[in-house]
Amino acid sequence: MHLTKHLSRIGLVITVLLASSCSRQEEPSTFKVPVDYYKLDNGLKVVLSENKESPTVVVAVYYNIGFRIEPKNRTGFAHLFEHMMFQGSENLGKMEFIKLVQTNGGVLNGSTRFDFTNYFEIMPAHKLETALWAEADRMRGLDITQENLTNQQGVVKNEVKVNVLNQPYGGFPWLDMPQYANENWYNAHNFYGDLADLDSAKLEDVESFFKTFYAPNNAALAIVGNFDPAQAKEWVEKYFGNIPSAELPPAPDISEPRQTEEKRFTKKDNLANKPAIAVAYKMPDRNTPEYYAMGLIDQLLVQGNDSKLYQRIVQDKGYAGNVSGGINYLGNMFNYNGPMLWMTNLIHDDNVSTDSILYELDQAIAELDTIDQQALDHAIVKMRSNLYDNLSQLYSFGTADLLASFALFDDDPARINTLEDEFRKITPEIVRNTVKEYLRPTNRTILILEPGAAGM
Amino acid sequence: MNRIKLYILTLPVLLFGFHAQAQKQTPPAGGTPVEFKLPQRKTKSLDNGLTANLVQYGTVPKVHVSVIVKTGNIHEGPDEIWLADLTGRLMQEGTSSMDATAIARKVAAMGGEVNISTGPNTMTISGSVLSEYGADLVRVLADIVMNPLFPESEIDRLKNDLKRQLTVQKSVPQAQAIEKFRAIMYKDHPYGRIFPTTEMIDGFTTEQVKAFYAKNVGARRTVVYAVGKFDESAVDKAIEESFSSWKEGPEVHYPVAKAENTNEVAIIDRPGAPQTTIILGLPALDPSHPDYTSLGVANSLLGGSFGSRITSNIREDKGYTYSPRSVINTGFRSALWYELADVTTEHTGAALQEIAKEIKRLQEEPPGEDELKGIQNYEAGVFVLQNSTPQGIIAQLNFIDFHGLDETYLENRVKNIHAVTPEKIQELAQKHFRYEDMALVLVGDKQQLDKQMNAHNESRKTR
Repeated sequence: MHLTKHLSRIGLVITVLLASSCSRQEEPSTFKVPVDYYKLDNGLKVVLSENKESPTVVVAVYYNIGFRIEPKNRTGFAHLFEHMMFQGSENLGKMEFIKLVQTNGGVLNGSTRFDFTNYFEIMPAHKLETALWAEADRMRGLDITQENLTNQQGVVKNEVKVNVLNQPYGGFPWLDMPQYANENWYNAHNFYGDLADLDSAKLEDVESFFKTFYAPNNAALAIVGNFDPAQAKEWVEKYFGNIPSAELPPAPDISEPRQTEEKRFTKKDNLANKPAIAVAYKMPDRNTPEYYAMGLIDQLLVQGNDSKLYQRIVQDKGYAGNVSGGINYLGNMFNYNGPMLWMTNLIHDDNVSTDSILYELDQAIAELDTIDQQALDHAIVKMRSNLYDNLSQLYSFGTADLLASFALFDDDPARINTLEDEFRKITPEIVRNTVKEYLRPTNRTILILEPGAAGM
Repeated sequence: MNRIKLYILTLPVLLFGFHAQAQKQTPPAGGTPVEFKLPQRKTKSLDNGLTANLVQYGTVPKVHVSVIVKTGNIHEGPDEIWLADLTGRLMQEGTSSMDATAIARKVAAMGGEVNISTGPNTMTISGSVLSEYGADLVRVLADIVMNPLFPESEIDRLKNDLKRQLTVQKSVPQAQAIEKFRAIMYKDHPYGRIFPTTEMIDGFTTEQVKAFYAKNVGARRTVVYAVGKFDESAVDKAIEESFSSWKEGPEVHYPVAKAENTNEVAIIDRPGAPQTTIILGLPALDPSHPDYTSLGVANSLLGGSFGSRITSNIREDKGYTYSPRSVINTGFRSALWYELADVTTEHTGAALQEIAKEIKRLQEEPPGEDELKGIQNYEAGVFVLQNSTPQGIIAQLNFIDFHGLDETYLENRVKNIHAVTPEKIQELAQKHFRYEDMALVLVGDKQQLDKQMNAHNESRKTR
């Protein structure tokens, strides 16, 4: 789609930062991820991280465009567009990208989140060049027909039906809550899209969306696994180096106003047969001390069966068989870049009132007022273990996910190795202050799901 | 794989942004494969019959420990559906020395939690903790599985949780379809009984749970796996010390199931549903059969992978569905093949016809060498990935153990995947993917479906 695609430019590779130079303070963390970060001349951020544990390699391309900032009259478009990235590029026709990866022994996927859209392959190690060539090909431009678009409109509408419209508790609360809790359209619209908006998408929209957001200076490439770094850098330059950069639009204002009153909503679900509840609190800004404190509070309140909410609601009261919760239901507390919610939700019986569940939640939060260092140390052990799980997730794709997110949002993928230290800096006092401002009842939104289907 | 076949687009419309290219580039072929070796395992047997497997794997400082007991829903009577699940849940409520909360806190302090999951064939008590706590986790898991208290005080709450879960699950269209399909396939075997009634759960007692445990759980039925980064001698010692005193318990015994050959059609009405959940299938070869690996390759080519024929057709060509897939679901000496898809209601009949067409095409003509080679590479790649995580390694080792296969199954798997010929695929499709013999379950708007079923009935007469 870039008319200047044949213009070749010799890119200069600048190595910006190496992880080993990170200063260590306080208690050193025990496990480090290798990080080699640099940028191409056209602005593409590149992160390499070697790991020889298996003969495989992860290639992940992250574009700095999530569903949050999709066009206002085109809800669901960022996600529909993600599907279009598999429909054909200059050298790979429809189905050929997917077949190229699979017939070379790899697996692939793409996803659309709040603040990025990602595409990744996990390949046998010796197929790294193949994957880089293919990702570069579709970064350079798409080659799509109306037939392809119509086909994927059908597929995406079926995706919405199977995950939301024909599913009890479909969209609850991950798709619903942002729409109730947030005020700013960018955070509060239907990210999957109204079926009518999906239908009205045109080929010109696909073209203009690509031109606007899919440029190397709006992307990060992470390579994680078993490879030779010098060779990998050569290929990255060869295939991505001459993709022209684009002028990026100014970032819209996605901020949320401070919430000052509790909000309560009821949603009728005609397919569900048991009531459910979700409660969401607006998070502190990313990377502040309060943000890290919320990470530890999340561990204490709702992660694992030793957590306060599990112990109260499941173990003691038997209101529910499980309590879910966390920061960013479409990822984790690290891979987003804007306003976010801490949320918890559960399915319960008809004879348990909303208020009795909220009572347990309030009691659990009140206990945080007397938190001591020992409890924080406990939360840090859980957090560390959880971080390691993030890194290993999906054959080390999780490492690529964090590296690409930190490159894209913070221009600093080496942050991956300082997270533990940031959590260790949190004191009981910071936790108390965080609870006071962010777990206020007036900072929360309660969404009650009222079942419309017959029980048993 | 040097080059992929390039399509000629049937519609020469539009190529926005740039001119059609006369000559496309060929993707770079890649280098020399990095050798894949199965992770090395150390095995150990105790005098009471328990076995253990230790595998050092990876760089992340965590260790995963699973205690797998060879019992599950397969040992339930017709009036005991989910009794195994209740046993697992009550097992988590404490031992003679620690209650549930104490266990939860102790394991959380290691960076993990204990999960007990009950499946058709196995009950798995597991946890994943920071490396330094591997031996401690082994001790806790051993205590849970060997000394459960089964406290009477907790059973009503757990039964209530199961009833709530049952009610919710039965409202999910995919679960309704699976329940019906398995009931058709396995008429007189626990494999065919997915959901109990609420009355059945109401009737369960602590005595029944204790009896189920006594009859089905013991050292001879148990295999311990520790995989990840850990202190091997400490974990080895913990296994020896904590499990040696356990009773031998019952021998491994799985009642063999025989799946029905039936082309029964069942429709579960869901008025107004925008999609139909389809399950279409029949009995298949289980892993003890020499053709199992070849059948897996045939499945991957027909419907089991994203690039497969059925998925290319009903998703990427027609747009009828989002996530269609075919699977071989294995039990003990018994297996099923089926295609699952949630398709737009008005396209249900058409989707079935396309599936029938793809099956017939594979039966009438062997796949091309290139197409098959691509699928073989994919299957081999997936196998490498399956052996590249602690949980994956445990799943692979448990798979051969459960099905009574030896290590050569894993060692030769890549070679065996590549040995399958196009003619073999065609032969297996003729023998095992017989559309006219498949049972069909549809969960959707019956009024809409009745109108479309003629198409299906016609397509059954294709041979």
